[in-house]
Amino acid sequence: MAIGVAPLPGADRSIPARTPAERARRVLTYAILLAIAALFFVPFLWTISTSLKTLPETTGFDLLPDSPSLRAYREVLTEFDFLRYAANSFFLAGVITLANLVLCSVGGYAFARLRFPGREVLFMLVLATLMIPDQLRLVPVFLLLSGWGLVGGFTGYMLIKLVLASNLFFMRQYFLTIPKDFEEAAKLDNAGHFKTFWKVMLPLTGPALAAITILTFQGIWNEFFWPLILLGFGDPSKYTVQLGIAQFSFQYQTLWPQLMAASVIAILPIVVIFVVFQRYFVAGVVASGVKG
Amino acid sequence: MAATVVRKQRTLGSARVREAFVGYAFIAVPMAIFLTFFIYPLVYSAYISRYDWGVFGKIEALGWENYRTLVNDEIFWRAIKNTLLYTAVVVPLEMALALTLAVIVNAGIRGKGFFRSAFYFPSLASSAAITAIAIYILSADGLLNALIGGERSWFGDSDTALWSIAGLNAWTTSGTLMLFYLAALQAIPTDVYEAAAIDGAKTWRTFWRITFPLLKPGHFFVAVVSMIGALQLFDQSFIVSKGSGGPNYSTLSAVLYLYRTAIADVQFGYAAAIGIALFALIFTLTLIQRLLFGKAETA
Repeated sequence: MAIGVAPLPGADRSIPARTPAERARRVLTYAILLAIAALFFVPFLWTISTSLKTLPETTGFDLLPDSPSLRAYREVLTEFDFLRYAANSFFLAGVITLANLVLCSVGGYAFARLRFPGREVLFMLVLATLMIPDQLRLVPVFLLLSGWGLVGGFTGYMLIKLVLASNLFFMRQYFLTIPKDFEEAAKLDNAGHFKTFWKVMLPLTGPALAAITILTFQGIWNEFFWPLILLGFGDPSKYTVQLGIAQFSFQYQTLWPQLMAASVIAILPIVVIFVVFQRYFVAGVVASGVKG
Repeated sequence: MAATVVRKQRTLGSARVREAFVGYAFIAVPMAIFLTFFIYPLVYSAYISRYDWGVFGKIEALGWENYRTLVNDEIFWRAIKNTLLYTAVVVPLEMALALTLAVIVNAGIRGKGFFRSAFYFPSLASSAAITAIAIYILSADGLLNALIGGERSWFGDSDTALWSIAGLNAWTTSGTLMLFYLAALQAIPTDVYEAAAIDGAKTWRTFWRITFPLLKPGHFFVAVVSMIGALQLFDQSFIVSKGSGGPNYSTLSAVLYLYRTAIADVQFGYAAAIGIALFALIFTLTLIQRLLFGKAETA
């Protein structure tokens, strides 16, 4: 981990004797740091606080509610249907993540390790799709799916997200980093391609699969654009949490405790995943961003 | 002897065929998805853009008419202007913020992990939730006004609505961009700093003279990611304006105009033309950026 980490001069901890000026500077540095960190957190604390208040209480500006209550959460989940929206989001994010894990590890393995005519051309095609922006696809994809009767239901949305090119690319790169020796051993054992993939290669890709799981789940859970287009009108029972929030804010903008409770519900699952899998999160964001 | 050689070759040959067959089978589903939902739509949208196309399909062939209309469409140009202004403000803002945070986290401080997580935290939240929170905090009787003693409705005033979105997105995006800058910072070899330390260079000077120029590939990457994101502004504009792009077109982004034309006005032909124009715009700007930063630095 420490290799290549370059601490800036002046922050060098190996110098033992500090002058009072240096010490003062250090204190000041940490004070500024904590202030910035607070600035990043305050809106969320305010959100949580408001979600525990009653509506009349929101006219005041106390950070701590007088008598915290979960009433807003109960109302949002039942009366305003967010329990269903959350279930929809969980279902979509779960299915799409699973599909990506299977299809991208299998496909990434093929692109990295199997030889077949046209492999490089087809891989260039995969990379090219990364450069086609969503707005160019809005109209044709919408018309295509509505022609098949897949607008307004989950199937159309799941179909266009079944394989994400960035995930496929990521898995291919990961397989390329695995030394060939592992497969050579499998070949000597006369194992077939599928067995080599399943028994030898796949178990070595744990961190990559973890990164894909986290980033795909987060991406789908948080997505607004395509769910809005494909599920956003017609039957509200098909809404995701994010669509639910937009809808709620359009209709009942000033029911602040409820709106903030809905926002907490939308953010919380991702925060939990982040806290548990932080290591993979950071590595995944950087790796998936450095596409080349 | 000869027979065994032939047999061996045949098995080798069939092994290769089998490998190719397995290879195609392994990529069949992904390729089908990419061809149907990425490559084909490219062609299809060019086709649609030459028609008057409504709810029930093609109405009339228009040739280039949709594009001619686009050139004279004031609202389209307003949306482009909004998007470009927004991008010009938000990209430098995000980059400066992200670099500052990355340098802080990388500076050998105690609690590095905590600060990194804290700065990354807003990037976790969905655009819808974070926009709802912003609507609340920036409302006329919200927290911000309580703190600064104002009474402006930040998203309701056409002078401030777009810039409030810019501030909101700079805050939420800087965490992700910080991670990219951190990776770039850690790729700078340590001996460069040792040389600077021997020369007795001050921290500030070292940063501007050494770190900043050495980060050029990092700058380029972050600039591209940030710019592409900014040009595609949609979610926040949609939510703060209830889908209208108001007040007075001030939050109407290019993608929101495209969405409204396609989904609300059901003018698919015209919307397809807008989509192609936007693609051309983004592509051109990315190319210009690449030239500005120098091709060698992008590898």
